Amino acid sequence: MDHVLAVTEDGFQSPGPRDFEYPGLFGEGTFFTKPMLIIVLGSLLVAVFFYLASRRAARVPGKLQFAGESAYGFVRNSIALDAIGKEGMRYVPYLATLFFFIAVLNISGIVPLLQFPATSRIAIPLFLAVISCVIFNYIGIKRMGAGGYFKAMMFPAGIPWPVYILLAPIEFFSTIIVRPVTLCLRLTFNMFAGHLVLLLFILGGEYLVFDKGGVVGILAGSVSLFGSLILTFFEGFVQLLQAYVFTLLSALYIGGALADEH
Amino acid sequence: MPPETPAETPGQAPPPRHRQVGPTDRTGRAHEQDAWGAFGLVISGVCVWGGVGALVGAALDSRLPVMIGLLLGMSAGLYLVWFRYGRA
Repeated sequence: MDHVLAVTEDGFQSPGPRDFEYPGLFGEGTFFTKPMLIIVLGSLLVAVFFYLASRRAARVPGKLQFAGESAYGFVRNSIALDAIGKEGMRYVPYLATLFFFIAVLNISGIVPLLQFPATSRIAIPLFLAVISCVIFNYIGIKRMGAGGYFKAMMFPAGIPWPVYILLAPIEFFSTIIVRPVTLCLRLTFNMFAGHLVLLLFILGGEYLVFDKGGVVGILAGSVSLFGSLILTFFEGFVQLLQAYVFTLLSALYIGGALADEH
Repeated sequence: MPPETPAETPGQAPPPRHRQVGPTDRTGRAHEQDAWGAFGLVISGVCVWGGVGALVGAALDSRLPVMIGLLLGMSAGLYLVWFRYGRA
């Protein structure tokens, strides 16, 4: 047992949850960490990009304006209009902000030097999910009144009344609690797992090639490093996809609250 | 430039299969929520009635209510999945 422990200490330290905890950037004990830096940079990037793209809106768009309009148009057409319908136009600003904020924070996981998806820290997706939850419930209550909204949510027509005792709490729980929680967990752990896999392939490859050495080590390490390259592209795809999924589901929830539920 | 409005399919209105049909045409996007909606309902059923069962069980100092609650919640959740998504 001692032997095994000794080997583990000298050998390869496999990545784990501790790799997601960063010390203060400006020395021990300072509160500003790398994920926070990524949030600030990401917010600035999104804000500055859309500000510059829309500053001098011309009838014949320049390159930047075209890029901005295409990006915004993507959220408007394939998320808001597709998932909500014409009424979705009102919520495009929120959905676009949500999508690009999440996308940028996700993509920071494969940007050189940053290389950490800030959304893998649960606080960020959780807060975004709570915002989405508050918004779609507010819309539903505003549209149908609190009584009407909860009645439509908890008492679907066509069920004998004694069964409601059994079903109403489930509907309530699934709409108010499970929806934001699944939104949050889906994003967080996709980013968490993706970052972990990249860490494993890159650090493991580096260890095999440089520390273990030998024909086997260098061969296996090369395969691992090459795999990390492919996985980086795959991770970029997953990061964009998860931003899309989060935004699409938020839009679908808003659409559901807008719809007449019976 | 992307088109102003989403592509709609005139003259081909699908039958209202869903409880949640949008105020306007929703081109199939509503289905993407279904898997998670069904998952959420089953989880909710188990959590809510399993939780009630656990509370009752703690009060009565017995583990039987937990089991009854879990089974009841699961069947109620599955029934809701069928009610919401299964009736084609």
